[in-house]
Amino acid sequence: GARLGGGSGCCVSFCYSFKVVLLGEGCVGKTSLVLRYCENKFNDKHITTLQASFLTKKLNITGKRVNLAIWDTAGQERFHALGPIYYRDSNGAILVYDVTDEDSFQKVKNWVKELRKMLGNEICLCIVGNKIDLEKERHVSVEEAEGYAESVGAKHYHTSAKLNKGIEELFLDLCKRMMETAQAEERMKGNGASQFGAARRGVQIVDDEPQAATAAGGCCSSG
Amino acid sequence: MSQRSERRGIHVDQSELLCKKGCGYYGNAAWQGLCSKCWREEYQRARQKQIQEDWALAEKLQREEEEAAYASNQGTQPTPPNQSALAPFSKFEEKKTNEKTRKVTTVKKFFSPSSRTTPKKASGEREERVQGRRESHGETLLRDLRGMFTPPWEMGSPTEALVSRLRESHESKTPSPSISRQSSIETDRVSRDFVDFLKSLQKLGREIHKQCRVFIESMASKKDLSADELSEYVQDFYQNMSDRLLTHFKGSSERVECVMDQVEKYIMTRLYKSVFCPETTDDEKKDLATQNRIRALHWVTIQMLCVPLDEDIPEVSDSVVKAITDVIEMDSKRVPRDKLACITSCSKHIFNAIRVTKREPASADDFLPTLIYIVLKANPPRLQSNIQYITRFCNPSRLMTGEDGYYFTNLCCAVAFIEKLDAQSLNLSPEDFEHYMSGLASPSRVEEKSTWPQSSSLVSPGLTQMYHNLELLTGLGERQQQVLDGARGLQAEMEEWQESVKQQVHGIVERYPLEVRPPALPIDSENTENDRLPPPLTPQVFAG
Repeated sequence: GARLGGGSGCCVSFCYSFKVVLLGEGCVGKTSLVLRYCENKFNDKHITTLQASFLTKKLNITGKRVNLAIWDTAGQERFHALGPIYYRDSNGAILVYDVTDEDSFQKVKNWVKELRKMLGNEICLCIVGNKIDLEKERHVSVEEAEGYAESVGAKHYHTSAKLNKGIEELFLDLCKRMMETAQAEERMKGNGASQFGAARRGVQIVDDEPQAATAAGGCCSSG
Repeated sequence: MSQRSERRGIHVDQSELLCKKGCGYYGNAAWQGLCSKCWREEYQRARQKQIQEDWALAEKLQREEEEAAYASNQGTQPTPPNQSALAPFSKFEEKKTNEKTRKVTTVKKFFSPSSRTTPKKASGEREERVQGRRESHGETLLRDLRGMFTPPWEMGSPTEALVSRLRESHESKTPSPSISRQSSIETDRVSRDFVDFLKSLQKLGREIHKQCRVFIESMASKKDLSADELSEYVQDFYQNMSDRLLTHFKGSSERVECVMDQVEKYIMTRLYKSVFCPETTDDEKKDLATQNRIRALHWVTIQMLCVPLDEDIPEVSDSVVKAITDVIEMDSKRVPRDKLACITSCSKHIFNAIRVTKREPASADDFLPTLIYIVLKANPPRLQSNIQYITRFCNPSRLMTGEDGYYFTNLCCAVAFIEKLDAQSLNLSPEDFEHYMSGLASPSRVEEKSTWPQSSSLVSPGLTQMYHNLELLTGLGERQQQVLDGARGLQAEMEEWQESVKQQVHGIVERYPLEVRPPALPIDSENTENDRLPPPLTPQVFAG
């Protein structure tokens, strides 16, 4: 309750809008993951959506409405350089790798480095090992993956789009973290800023005074 | 003189025998009337002069030869690439200046009475114009023919024509009165719609209208500012307005969005002319660079980009055409949101095409290559200007998070990819890539040869259409031949029938000749009962 009280008291029906980018190599199951989450379908012939590259989900987390926009990105190596255009202004990033494919995990590491360099700690990172239904063929060890995630300040999840495992938790956790970050930002900016202001120029928030950083730290530790 | 006229016979005057130089010695005809000494001098001088002249001539010839050789050398060498790249720019500069001068002349024409009052001149002009039209008709015919044999993205002039036409219909710079009237009609309509919409908001509506008007007026005085500054002003206005609306609607963001859409439409329709592709930026140059780049990449195939489309399926090729149309149409819209709607519509058609081909929802892995392919095929007019315009002046809430924003981002990615595209990104060897770029080789042509009948996707739509039409025409020709044959048969039959009827009639006439018998009996010969009739009345004479 106390955490959610901050900012925007005037807005009766306040609503968060979050942009989440989906990054990862071609065949790691990004599309299956997001289709499972938004449509609860897997390799289904009756999927109603025309496309799975931009999907939205409305959530209600502890009484707060959240609009989640999930942006799929082209995973082919040749489009790697376009990444910054995609993940600009995003609140969260889901980095997917295939647990049976060592190479795809290496790609995730590259992404993490790039994201941290370009966006700093503004963005909530989730590293996701998909296809745990193929546990027998696993090539990326759990310890290695989780250890790496912790070292870069990201959360690690294991999912299976096929068995519908771990996906709800992944998105719910991510949303909560993004809400915390957003609230911290709001407090940093003081009151009076609307979500339009927040949505407009993410850069402006970054170059606030250093004292803001300490305020953010205090807030996070209390929450 | 008198001496010469007197000259007769062999008498020769003394003076004529003397040397022409007048040295006192006798001259000789063989030495051109000079004495031996004078002749030698004269001859030496002439020879010297001749030698000098010959020398000069030889020098001149050699110089000319060298020059010619140099020039031909130059000709055989390929023209340096930077020169060809510069050409369009100079052309563009030229066009711009042309436009300026045209503006001046038309304005002058407007005010000079002569163009109106001299009918003779006008008729002459008309003749000229007719001739001009005939010429241009020939040109368009040529272009159409060319268009049949070149894929649409390879063909320069129609796109250019499209661009210029679109430019003419949108820029205030063009002086055509009908066009400016048209645009003002559009502006008026948008203003009316806006006022109608605001009426539903009552007091708040009046407030919004006033704010917008004040803002537009203030923008009129800021024309000289840079595009970024203009963008800043508009974005600040959007934000102030949405903040105020948010307070008024007590946080109902849907209603705020709705009003903001109307505000954006009204403002940007009015500001479009001054802020779209402003002269302070190099947007126009970027447009041309992108256009040329896409034209140079005409050889890129579906296979190279790994586009998951099967254009042999009619629904897929149909969607592709629709997507291309939509992305081209973007340039014709004024409001950033309308432009975004074009991109969204284009994307939806792409998704449909992918879904029909792959039978599953399209992921970004499928979508982006297809969008790149569509952009390459469409070569949308003023692509960079439009992207810049949307980025600068679109309501940010729409651009950042919404579905439209996602598609717009993908379009930006597609353009960025096309700009940076190299051999590696198409899985080609650098040599092949260079060959294709320089036009020395064409991958599509090689493939076309091997799989000519199957690969209808590689043949330009114009060519496909032509084949289709040819087939139709052949069929039509056959049927016409059939009709003609039938008609001829019918004619022969008719003649035969006529002949047979004639013969029959003759036969009958001959067999039963017409005999006209004279009437043998008096008229009442058949009256057999005549005798029963009473005798005719005979006149009786009465005495009286």
